[in-house]
Amino acid sequence: MRLLVIEDEPDLRSGIARSLRDEGYAVDMAADGEEGLFKAENWTYDVILLDIMLPRVDGWELLRRIRRRGTTPVLMLTARDTVPDRVRGLDGGADDYLTKPFSLEELLARVRALIRRGAGRPSPVIEAGGAVIDLNARSVTRQGERIPLTPREYALVEYLALHRGKVVSRTELYDHLFGDDEDTMSNLLDVHVSNIRKKLGHDFIQTRRGHGYCIE
Amino acid sequence: MKIVPRSLRWRLQLWYGAWLAAVLTAFTASAFALVRDSRLRRIDAEIERRMVALGAVFRPPLRDALRPPGPEGRPWFRPGERRPAAEGRSPEEAGAVSGGGPAGGRRPGEPPFFAPPAGAMEALEASLFSQDGPDRFYYRILGHDRFGERRSAGAPPDVPRPAPPPMDFVVRQTAEVREHVRRLRGGTLTLTVGKYIGPDLAELRRLSWILSAAAAGIWALGVVGGAWIAARAIRPVETIGHTAQRIAAGDLSRRIPVAETDTELGRLAEVLNATFDRLCEALARQTRFTADASHELRTPVSVILSQVESVLARPRPAEEYREALEACMRAARRLRHLVESLLTLARFDSGAPAGERERVELDGVAAEALALLRPLASERRLELVADLAPTACVGRRDQLLQMAVNLVSNAIHYNRPRGRVEVRTWTDGDARLEVRDNGIGIRSEDLPHIFERFFRADPARGAADGRAGLGLAITRTIVEAHGGQVEVESREGEGSRFTVRLPSHPEPLAPDDAGNDTRIEKTNR
Repeated sequence: MRLLVIEDEPDLRSGIARSLRDEGYAVDMAADGEEGLFKAENWTYDVILLDIMLPRVDGWELLRRIRRRGTTPVLMLTARDTVPDRVRGLDGGADDYLTKPFSLEELLARVRALIRRGAGRPSPVIEAGGAVIDLNARSVTRQGERIPLTPREYALVEYLALHRGKVVSRTELYDHLFGDDEDTMSNLLDVHVSNIRKKLGHDFIQTRRGHGYCIE
Repeated sequence: MKIVPRSLRWRLQLWYGAWLAAVLTAFTASAFALVRDSRLRRIDAEIERRMVALGAVFRPPLRDALRPPGPEGRPWFRPGERRPAAEGRSPEEAGAVSGGGPAGGRRPGEPPFFAPPAGAMEALEASLFSQDGPDRFYYRILGHDRFGERRSAGAPPDVPRPAPPPMDFVVRQTAEVREHVRRLRGGTLTLTVGKYIGPDLAELRRLSWILSAAAAGIWALGVVGGAWIAARAIRPVETIGHTAQRIAAGDLSRRIPVAETDTELGRLAEVLNATFDRLCEALARQTRFTADASHELRTPVSVILSQVESVLARPRPAEEYREALEACMRAARRLRHLVESLLTLARFDSGAPAGERERVELDGVAAEALALLRPLASERRLELVADLAPTACVGRRDQLLQMAVNLVSNAIHYNRPRGRVEVRTWTDGDARLEVRDNGIGIRSEDLPHIFERFFRADPARGAADGRAGLGLAITRTIVEAHGGQVEVESREGEGSRFTVRLPSHPEPLAPDDAGNDTRIEKTNR
């Protein structure tokens, strides 16, 4: 899952990003509206976290432009907590609204919910390929036994499970699993796939040659 | 139980109704009395006219009057007596006196009785005591009570024989008649002339009905009209009350509709509306201030929470802890700055005593502010220029230093690389401080607001570098608390100039005195 955090307060931005990365998300950051708009328009994100008071292009304008182009879930983060502000945000196309100061735990839960809804699978538990993927606990169990996965491996499984039955291209996987500041070697994906197959069985992830990967 | 209604309107109504009723009653009663009196006077005049005529008929010749009564003490007049034959009248001709029995002839030597000339009574009755028409008069002639009486036709038969009137002239009135009773000739002759006043009384009754009806009509008109006017006059009061109630209930946007601006209530409504406007504005300012303050407090708190929460989630390398702690430190500093600024403003707002005022060298204050901010300026590659002439004012040094620091740091923050900040002090009767920069300037639409609390020309700018938008608000508060004023001129893209004018110290600066702490009385300036 790849997220974009648009927040002008650097310390807040770094704190949020650190937590999100801990959860295995790929996180891009933007310090002002212009940069945020540029990134939102040029990459595909699973969730955008958007502050309202931003230099150059403010959050409202940014939301309007993001909504003109796509359906990426947007979570607004703001210190403005009045009802008119919330209504304005939600009516402007935001999917959720969180006021500062917030608890990171709540932020992560809301991000998870937005990802599920964005993929069209509101249930937090997905059964696929003989394994049970618990999106809240971020765990994969097989026949009642928990399979230990690294965050990146889990993220790969989660992405494929959310798009279960569809063939996901390698480019898409790279886009959604790695941030723009990460050096992604071309075979990194293959390494992760092979590790997951070792843990969950070779047939768990199927390779469609020339197309990509798929979980049935 | 309340008898007098409490409503202003009904009290007015009651008062006007009662007053109008009293006035109308008095007016109608006097009008009626006037008419009645005049009518009675006219009746009296008529009666009197007849009385005179009657009296004339009975007036004896002068010689009779001079002659004493007859030797037998007989009255000069006896009803029913025949006239002396010598006068050549037939007994029938003398029949003016009725009721008398057959009488003997006149004895010789007896003075002739007075008797009306033949036909006089008939002529009189025909002319003055006619019983035709509405005005019917009658007379009654009464001799000495031993003798009979004569009554005109139509005289009320049932009128009791009057007791000898105690006076020579009496007016009597019953429900049907009004009569004058006059005694003549020492009481031997009583003339009564009366009138049937039934028609007159009926007319007066009719008049009284008409007057009462008119009065009642006027009263009703007055009361209804008064009620209408009172209702109209009271309606704005009710509207005002209603509106005030809605405003009290929280609908602050509501205003009293002002239709008639000329009436007292219209003016009252305008005054109230203006008051509501000001209250609303003050409330909105307060709400905005609270919202802004909470907004400014939220961001650093969010930083601390998110940093601490994220590093505590799992074990991390020491470097990450360090980064998190540094971020928390920055946020805490920002909080401290914000809280101090808010406290400063709150202290000024609550009108806390300004403390000891002393002589302050404004040039020294400016120099200190420049020294404090020089590192920041060189970090941003700005040139700081000072042109400080000795200038003394009165106030608190710490506050004035804060004021100068705010202005200079403002000039540094809203500047451009390699920009220039000039600070001047001089005296022109007042103590003056000027801070001028050639930075980004202020948009003209923002100029009126820059001294407002939490105002930032670009809401997002400054948030990141920890500026809450309170610096200029504090500056103005300090300057005004010192009895001075601060002004700004700015052109977008060319720079700004802030000018502070403070009351100068009354004593000129003595060369050896400079820098010394000269205390002066607070009341000195």
